[in-house]
Amino acid sequence: MADYAPVDLTAENLVSFELNGEKVQAPAGTMLVDACHALGVEVPIFCYEPRIGPPVGACRMCLVEVEGMRGLQTACSTPVQPDMVVRTTSELATQGQESVLELLLANHPLDCPVCDKGGECPLQDRTFRFGPGKSRFHESKRHFLKPVELSSRIALDRERCISCFRCVRFSQEVAQDGQLTMQERGGRSEIATFSGDAYEARFTGNIIDVCPVGALTSIPYRFVARPWDVTNTPSVCGLCPVGCNTELTLREGVVRRVSGRDEPNYAVEEGWLCDVGRWAYDSADHTGRLHRAVVRDANGARETNMADALSAATLVLQRADGPVGILLGPAATVEEAAIALDLAGGALRGAVVARLGIPAGPLAPLRATRRAEMGDIDDAQTVIVVGGDPSLQQPVVELRLRKAALRRGARIVTVGSRRTGLADVAEHVDAAPGALHAAISDIAARIAASAEPVVLWDEAELAAEPAAADALATAIAANGAARQIELGQDPNGAGLRALGIPATGLRDALAAGRLGALITVHADPRSAPGRDAWDAALGDVPVVSVATHVDATTDRATVVLPSLTLWEQEGTLVSMTGRAQRVRRGADGPDGAAPGWEILIALGHYLGAPPAYRTPGAAFAAAAKAHPGLGGLTYDDMGTLGAPLPPPAADHLAGDAGESVAAGSAGLALVAVRDVHAGRAAQGSEALLAFHAPAAARVSAATAERARLTDGATARISSPHGEATLPVRVAPGLPDDAVFVALGTPGAAPESLLGPDRGPVRVELRP
Amino acid sequence: MTADEIRAYLEPRRHEFADPRSLVMPALKYAQTTRGHLSREDLDAVAEATGFTPSFVESVASFYDRLYTQPVGNRVVSVCITLSCMLRGSDEVWDHLCEKEGIDHHHGGTSADGRITIQEAQCLGYCDKAPCIQVDADETLGPFTPDSAAALVDELRAAPDPEEYWR
Repeated sequence: MADYAPVDLTAENLVSFELNGEKVQAPAGTMLVDACHALGVEVPIFCYEPRIGPPVGACRMCLVEVEGMRGLQTACSTPVQPDMVVRTTSELATQGQESVLELLLANHPLDCPVCDKGGECPLQDRTFRFGPGKSRFHESKRHFLKPVELSSRIALDRERCISCFRCVRFSQEVAQDGQLTMQERGGRSEIATFSGDAYEARFTGNIIDVCPVGALTSIPYRFVARPWDVTNTPSVCGLCPVGCNTELTLREGVVRRVSGRDEPNYAVEEGWLCDVGRWAYDSADHTGRLHRAVVRDANGARETNMADALSAATLVLQRADGPVGILLGPAATVEEAAIALDLAGGALRGAVVARLGIPAGPLAPLRATRRAEMGDIDDAQTVIVVGGDPSLQQPVVELRLRKAALRRGARIVTVGSRRTGLADVAEHVDAAPGALHAAISDIAARIAASAEPVVLWDEAELAAEPAAADALATAIAANGAARQIELGQDPNGAGLRALGIPATGLRDALAAGRLGALITVHADPRSAPGRDAWDAALGDVPVVSVATHVDATTDRATVVLPSLTLWEQEGTLVSMTGRAQRVRRGADGPDGAAPGWEILIALGHYLGAPPAYRTPGAAFAAAAKAHPGLGGLTYDDMGTLGAPLPPPAADHLAGDAGESVAAGSAGLALVAVRDVHAGRAAQGSEALLAFHAPAAARVSAATAERARLTDGATARISSPHGEATLPVRVAPGLPDDAVFVALGTPGAAPESLLGPDRGPVRVELRP
Repeated sequence: MTADEIRAYLEPRRHEFADPRSLVMPALKYAQTTRGHLSREDLDAVAEATGFTPSFVESVASFYDRLYTQPVGNRVVSVCITLSCMLRGSDEVWDHLCEKEGIDHHHGGTSADGRITIQEAQCLGYCDKAPCIQVDADETLGPFTPDSAAALVDELRAAPDPEEYWR
């Protein structure tokens, strides 16, 4: 909960006024509550939440005395004016605050000892500080059935609600899902959804963070811990490349809760999290978690301890017939990647290092154009989204765009082949799947005609159309004031690229038989796009797999080294906007597992050429010296909010280009979306049961009919790269002659249909 | 009631309302005329016809006493309980009607046969005829004694139901 808006006391347009007898200064137009907070004077609030929108003055808690104004004023809606005289602690103001609290508590149950919010409850805290101490109410309080399930993840206790409207305003004005409203009136008012339906949407969990009382609580966290039993650690979500700043609540070495930070990162997520980022932490422990190391030999697989497995891995690598390949997964941290590079320069000299992702070459000119951060969307009058669907792939971006559209009337334009989650606030320019190039002159004209546009572009779709990417880069550069944000695919794609790690090269070397062994670090090439090509390239090359969960690669790996997830280990992730942010150690993880960076350092030791560092901090410091892409940053520079890396040069990784495969025009266009709601974390989370859905190929009604398929029927889909069998879902709002699949769903394999270097794909759809 | 029916009703009246939000009230009142209360389907239809979310439409409906989200009797009898009527004996009228219909004295309610609903009303503006009673949205009548009010309820029970439930 952010509570107060940040105030810049060093701004130029300061006005002087008197606050509790002292002469102070604050920027003109600042709301009194914010100015007071910045100046170290607390004015209590409940309904005020600057991130939700303009003040509403619903709770009356922030009453202060302003000389010359009749009665008491609400400080949340009174802007600072020159020479005003404000008293927040005078007898009159104190009386007002006490009376308001007495009224708010008239119906609020005194059940703090059994309330989940107790100990971290603004109402509790402010009652102690500003409350009357005694209540004059003898009447019975209102009673409701408690608690009710607002959704499968959120419990609502209506007795505790003080009708501050924060959750309703979040639903109406921030997420704009329109589902939460205040029903009934007066003493009977209650938060409700239509006919008591479940509140299901993409960002529902934020209402728990903004609730200033114990009315809205997280069902998975209910009665799990007390605020004085836990430690809170600032971290970063590693599920998508937005890099939302989170706070991990730990109890006895286990992550029990993920929430937005009290002091949000306004340059990134502004304190809002998507439901996947908030609740998927329980997926770390779901079925398939690797608890012990595995060594496979002629006699089959056996579980063993880490030291034994490291010895086995060392043998595998030393006996390898040729250099070693090291493949880094999309969420491998900067530290893991840097240590891998050091291994390739030392213990495993000559090793080929690559990342599992989209080749950077075709996008190099576009990435070199002027970059924006998420916070910059707040100032843009025009935002153009080229390709993709941020609502599914980088969810929190949607909230920024909605804020821009609703609060400032900014123009949002989406360009692409389908209705996105922004359809209700955006103007849409249609482009057939794989044909952004056809719309590029229209986009360029819009960029040229806008004052300071921000262009958001989808990594996968533009990488598949290099000509369109180049044209977009030219248009952005031509405007001068235009800036761009990459809607990336990989949680640490930018970090791996900053170290100069290409996506190509390794698979070709494998296929050509030049490599003697492969180390995978949080990478599963056998489930990744182009999995058939990866499988063929792997042949019977021995694999050492550093992984958190059982996957297709650990199933065949000679040695599996169990590692920790991003909720458990230290590291640095670079967001899609190029902001390097620290992931902090949260949970302990399984006893038999170790952090990925530690495993890689240990491998160096076992191989007889240990790197010169022992901690992730030192590994990062060494990497920052060695790789200019990291801009010489240190952990201290990053602090809790991260720091931007220098933008890449126009020729950075320009040679990282895959085979360009012409898709031809026969068949249907395949659109593969990395939907976080369909990925392993969401699908493996018990809390996110509402998002659980079997993988499917989504098509328009006409497309299904032409292929003689009905909704729910099983379709055989084939592409030049491979085949997949998926149930068909007929969905509205999709273009004809296209098949939409989500990547990363466990148990499904639409990845077979794609090429390892991505690029456009056309498929056949058969019953 | 369907969204199309509601649209057809709203269309000639649309010009009377500057703010599209204001259309929600007449739409709800009209949607209530077939059943006497608003079902989930009615609320959905109003939402569709006015362009607001079902949740918002329901929040409006739940705010007002004369919009019913639960089934009520075929005739709704509103007894004014504000000052003038109270001074002239509305308490006795209220108690007598509740007693007669076997309804909770605190909250009012609907008779067991589902014919009559008795509810409190705030000032109906007929202080000169206190204590007064309004049946559905018909003209307000008064003054009543407990007995004459009971006679009115008997008369309502015997009379045929109105074709449309305007409340």
